[in-house]
Amino acid sequence: MAPQDGDNNQREVGRLRALLGRPSTRFSLGSLLLAGIALGIILWGGFNTAMEATNTETFCISCHEMHDNVYQEYKKTIHYSNRTGVRATCPDCHVPKDWTHKMIRKVQASKELWGKLIGTIDTPEKFEAKRLELARNEWKRMKGSDSRECRNCHSLDSMNADAQKQRARKQHEMAREEKMTCIDCHKGIAHRKPEGMTEEDEE
Amino acid sequence: MKNAIAMSAIGLVAALGSGAAFAAAPADWSKVPAVEVTLLYPGVSPVEWITKGTEHGGARVLRRGETCIGCHSEEADSMGTLIASGKKIEPNPIPGKAPFIKAKVQAAHDGEHLYLRFSWTQPAASGAAKMDAKNAVKLAYMLEDGDKVELAGQGGCWGSCHAGVRTMPGGADDKTKYVKDGSLDAGVFYDLNQWRSGENAVFDGYIADKRVMEGGQALVKAVGAQKDGVWTVEFTRRLSGGKGDVTLAPGKAYNFGFAIHDDSSVGRYHHVSLGYKLGIDAEGDIVAKKL
Repeated sequence: MAPQDGDNNQREVGRLRALLGRPSTRFSLGSLLLAGIALGIILWGGFNTAMEATNTETFCISCHEMHDNVYQEYKKTIHYSNRTGVRATCPDCHVPKDWTHKMIRKVQASKELWGKLIGTIDTPEKFEAKRLELARNEWKRMKGSDSRECRNCHSLDSMNADAQKQRARKQHEMAREEKMTCIDCHKGIAHRKPEGMTEEDEE
Repeated sequence: MKNAIAMSAIGLVAALGSGAAFAAAPADWSKVPAVEVTLLYPGVSPVEWITKGTEHGGARVLRRGETCIGCHSEEADSMGTLIASGKKIEPNPIPGKAPFIKAKVQAAHDGEHLYLRFSWTQPAASGAAKMDAKNAVKLAYMLEDGDKVELAGQGGCWGSCHAGVRTMPGGADDKTKYVKDGSLDAGVFYDLNQWRSGENAVFDGYIADKRVMEGGQALVKAVGAQKDGVWTVEFTRRLSGGKGDVTLAPGKAYNFGFAIHDDSSVGRYHHVSLGYKLGIDAEGDIVAKKL
């Protein structure tokens, strides 16, 4: 780059700064404010719309990695099909509902795009080989949040023990006494349990 | 008149005398309360399986001391159905195998003998090849004193059921049931009494480091018969015997479980009860009251 070009660039930046820093003489404060608000709504709305679009089952299973593996298993479980007609879709369990945690999760999940690009789990064999690690990540996240996503729908307090099977009553009694969290026991509730799980995974 | 009184007195003495000398089972079993117990077809569910959290969701509560009946008494039949059909823990399902048997258990004692009576309706035969050609039916019960055998208090006979024993997948034909740290001297054993239909024979043994089908001195007799499709087997057992016999004392309760080898089966292909408590004039799931 020639020294002259550098001077030119600096000059351009300086001019832009001056323009942005100068109070407007042409537009009223009200118009600027309105324009700002309008622009804000468009940008923010657009951002949220985009984020919500990635927060649907359709989006999740648009990748064959999800569609061919975990989705097929989930379709056989009670979270997909049941007598009451309530369905918990992928994000209901795997993405936090509140904004802050959702954003954090979304940023973390962006790593999956890289995985998609380089084909980390693009065959059933690769998926199986990595499945335990992936499951452990999710169990850890759920445990860390006291199974927050489960608790969006379920809670020990709202359970009717009389309507539960004998062994479920016992187990929930224990869960209450020992202040356990849903994922402690309910691993594999919506997907097959991975091969190679250890007793520690069940602790 | 005098003679009549004398004769009555003699009769009374004779009756009392014979009562003491020849203890008899209850004259009318219908007056002895019956407890219905479901025996389920257990598939391959040895100690190693029930204590493994990745296999058995109840392993955690089991570690906390929960009993098998605490979770499963209401569903023993449906568990048997799942297992017998091969949907769960049965790699070698036998078509037509009865998934469960509901048996009635009655118990009484006279201070010297324990009387146990089991009755159940004969399930339909599977039609499979006979594993035990001599005996269509066998019934065995086990007793344990003081929770010395690991899992005896929680799971009845299950404490003796292990992977690797005969008839288990990959099991050795010469390896029988055993209990962890089994020892007659230390009292770590199950007392075992068995009745066999075809041989019309009884066995009084125990399970410690291995299963032994002889040596016990408590079992007096066992008589069984099938009538109108209903089996009834009655055991007479002394409250105390010798080595390998659990000594029963009034006021105490003992760990108790039983199994039926139906359909000429052997080994693990039996129907098993979960673990119960047999009280001798004491609180229990099944209570033997003094006659």
